[in-house]
Amino acid sequence: MITIQGISKEFKEGIAGKRVMALEGLNLEIKRGEVFGFLGPNGAGKSTTIKILMNLIYSDTGKAEIGGKDVRNPESRKIVGYLPENPYFYDYLTADELLWFGGKTAGMVSKTIRTRSDFLINKVDLQNARKRPLRTYSKGMFQRAGLALALIHDPDVVILDEPMSGLDPIGRKMVGDLLIELKGEGKTIFFSSHILNDIERFSDRAGIIIGGKLRLVDTLSNLLSDGKNLEEVFMREVAISEKGTSL
Amino acid sequence: MRTLAAVIVLILAGLLHITSLGKASDSYKMLPQDTDQSFVLPSALIKIVALEFRGLASDVYFLNSMVFIGATQQRKETPRVKEWEWRWFLKVLDTATDLDPYFFDPYYYANAFLPWDAGMVKETNLLLAKGSRYRDWDWMLPFFIGFNNFYFLKNDSESAEFLMEASRRPGGDPMLASIAARLAFKENRTETAIYFLEQTSKNTEDRNIKERFETRIGALRSILFLENAIAGFKKKYGKIPTSIEALVNKNIISQLPRDPYGGTYYLAEGGKVRSTASSELEPYLSPLQKKIRK
Amino acid sequence: MTLWPVALITFKEGIRNKALYGITLIALMLFGATALIATMIPREVGKVSIDMALSTISFTGLLLVFFVGINLIAKDLDKRTIYTVLSRPISRSQYIFGKFLGMSLLIIVTMSALSVMAMSAIVLLKATHAEYFGRFSWSLITLAILFNMLMLILLSAISFFFASFTTSSFITLVLTIITYIIGHSISGVKALVESSPQEIGITVSPVTLKMVKAAYYLFPNLSLFDIKLQAAHALTVTSSFVMWTVVYGLVYIALAITLAALIFRKKEFP
Repeated sequence: MITIQGISKEFKEGIAGKRVMALEGLNLEIKRGEVFGFLGPNGAGKSTTIKILMNLIYSDTGKAEIGGKDVRNPESRKIVGYLPENPYFYDYLTADELLWFGGKTAGMVSKTIRTRSDFLINKVDLQNARKRPLRTYSKGMFQRAGLALALIHDPDVVILDEPMSGLDPIGRKMVGDLLIELKGEGKTIFFSSHILNDIERFSDRAGIIIGGKLRLVDTLSNLLSDGKNLEEVFMREVAISEKGTSL
Repeated sequence: MRTLAAVIVLILAGLLHITSLGKASDSYKMLPQDTDQSFVLPSALIKIVALEFRGLASDVYFLNSMVFIGATQQRKETPRVKEWEWRWFLKVLDTATDLDPYFFDPYYYANAFLPWDAGMVKETNLLLAKGSRYRDWDWMLPFFIGFNNFYFLKNDSESAEFLMEASRRPGGDPMLASIAARLAFKENRTETAIYFLEQTSKNTEDRNIKERFETRIGALRSILFLENAIAGFKKKYGKIPTSIEALVNKNIISQLPRDPYGGTYYLAEGGKVRSTASSELEPYLSPLQKKIRK
Repeated sequence: MTLWPVALITFKEGIRNKALYGITLIALMLFGATALIATMIPREVGKVSIDMALSTISFTGLLLVFFVGINLIAKDLDKRTIYTVLSRPISRSQYIFGKFLGMSLLIIVTMSALSVMAMSAIVLLKATHAEYFGRFSWSLITLAILFNMLMLILLSAISFFFASFTTSSFITLVLTIITYIIGHSISGVKALVESSPQEIGITVSPVTLKMVKAAYYLFPNLSLFDIKLQAAHALTVTSSFVMWTVVYGLVYIALAITLAALIFRKKEFP
């Protein structure tokens, strides 16, 4: 469903600043219907990868496709629902208007948008706030509105950048339940996190990325075979990367 | 306790504020003023600086000139307005009309004061000519130029030209053409002058300005009366009288007319009627001065 | 067409901006001042009313573009609301064009509302001072307002151009203000240096002359869209002037916004 081939990205800090290799030779393939957890420390390149998939950043080399379409083609995003790390919306729009926008840009008809809006707003528990301007929302409400926006057009692929960050336990439960529900509907889910527990709970497969390089990709069951726990696996990869070897 | 102290401090501060403001502005007025404040930014520059607000800028300049006149009306000293102030006044109106050459009021205002009070006739005519060029639908501006040429500059032929122009424009009284003819043929100047002043007064709304015109007209009527009497005397006795009292003595007229400016009439050289009071008619009555003040 | 959703949310975001209240208040105060000051003028009450009413519209239009308009595009880039929009299946160009459409709608709607207020002020003054409204033309006043709208839309297209490559909304604001100032003065400066620089006592070197000429063609000649004088005195405005000015405006807008879209394609949002 999602193919990433040979993607590299270098950032330059400032005008004559130092160069940082945010991603180096990333190769990854996400199969249809699976839940893939992207694990790594802060600054490892998780967000960069996701933003390249969303065409917010351009890769220096390589190619990425979603559903067979190049990510540089806007059409590729017709089947993608995206939740950024800290969603931020226009101050004066309401949740309803936000969802209308999301639906229309994905080619939905007004009637369908209304039905789905009602459904999603109830699902993320924003009924009381749906007509209020977004600037009055709390952080948790932003996250929920963002989820509704990501799902308004019933996408086959859902990409979430640190979906649990800054959420209270109720919020975390809601997101978690939603992930499971989406998986049940056969959606492909790609999410990044630096919280080991979240990766463990929801992923079918996981990839560990450190310093821009993908270190390890395997199914959860394989990673945790022989009584290993994810933390040990992760810290081992960190240690290896500091010594300079890679996948 | 704290609130009370705060309130007291606020009240004291308030009183201090009022007192200090009064004292400061009083002493500001006492500060020595510049003797020549006639600097006005050159129009070419203002036009650029005003960007898309040229019309507004011209309105502001004109309003400034109105404020100035208003302030001078209150003055008691003589001369009421200094020379550099009139220069400034002209520059302001010139700039206003550079910013918007179609704006009628500055032209009118300049003409109401500058030829009469400042003796700046030629400068006024230049300004009016600019207006006449742009406001080609307006008969009043060439009329004013014609008036000034006749009344102040004693240039009857120029005057006639401008009156003809005025008569051709929309709203222009066809009478103007016949007055132009009178000038061309050098008929009685005082009658022509009265006609000019009556026309101007008719089109004046400002009561102050109108009154001044009415006074001038009254004075000229008196002079016309005397001039006709002198002509009658000459007809009867073959020569002009030696003194103005002769007119009464010889029963040409029953009494000398009153001079609205408070003087007494006498006969000057060449049989010209003069008054002992200096008046606003000086520019008209006296021969053309060689040097017009700048 | 995907331009419309972007345009509509841009418009809504703009029209609900609290700053609009302040701008409307300023406009009302200025219209009030118009009614007061115009009556002080001895004769040409009409011309001064129109001067002030149209100037108020211009001024509030500028406030709208500088403070609400630029904010609309800059907020996206500063505050990361861009993720919400660009993650939809729309291209970068569609985003820019859609936002610009929304911005233009905002200008047209706001200016129309202000024009109604302005015209009311003029109608009121005309009714009470009919004798002083000699030469008057509603069609010219309307044309002046429409040209003003076009100029503001052009200005916001230029602000989009600047926003497409600058990093801060403040710089975009400054550059747009500078362009506005140059745009309105370049015609006068060119006339001055070409014909009569000695009028203000300066001599002009050939280098300066060339620079001014270059600036004249590069920067938008905004003074073409200012026909307040003609409206105030009901002077004639030829249809060929109207046509060519509109063409010039539309062409420049197209250039600016296309350039903005092209540059914006290169922008990344890490």
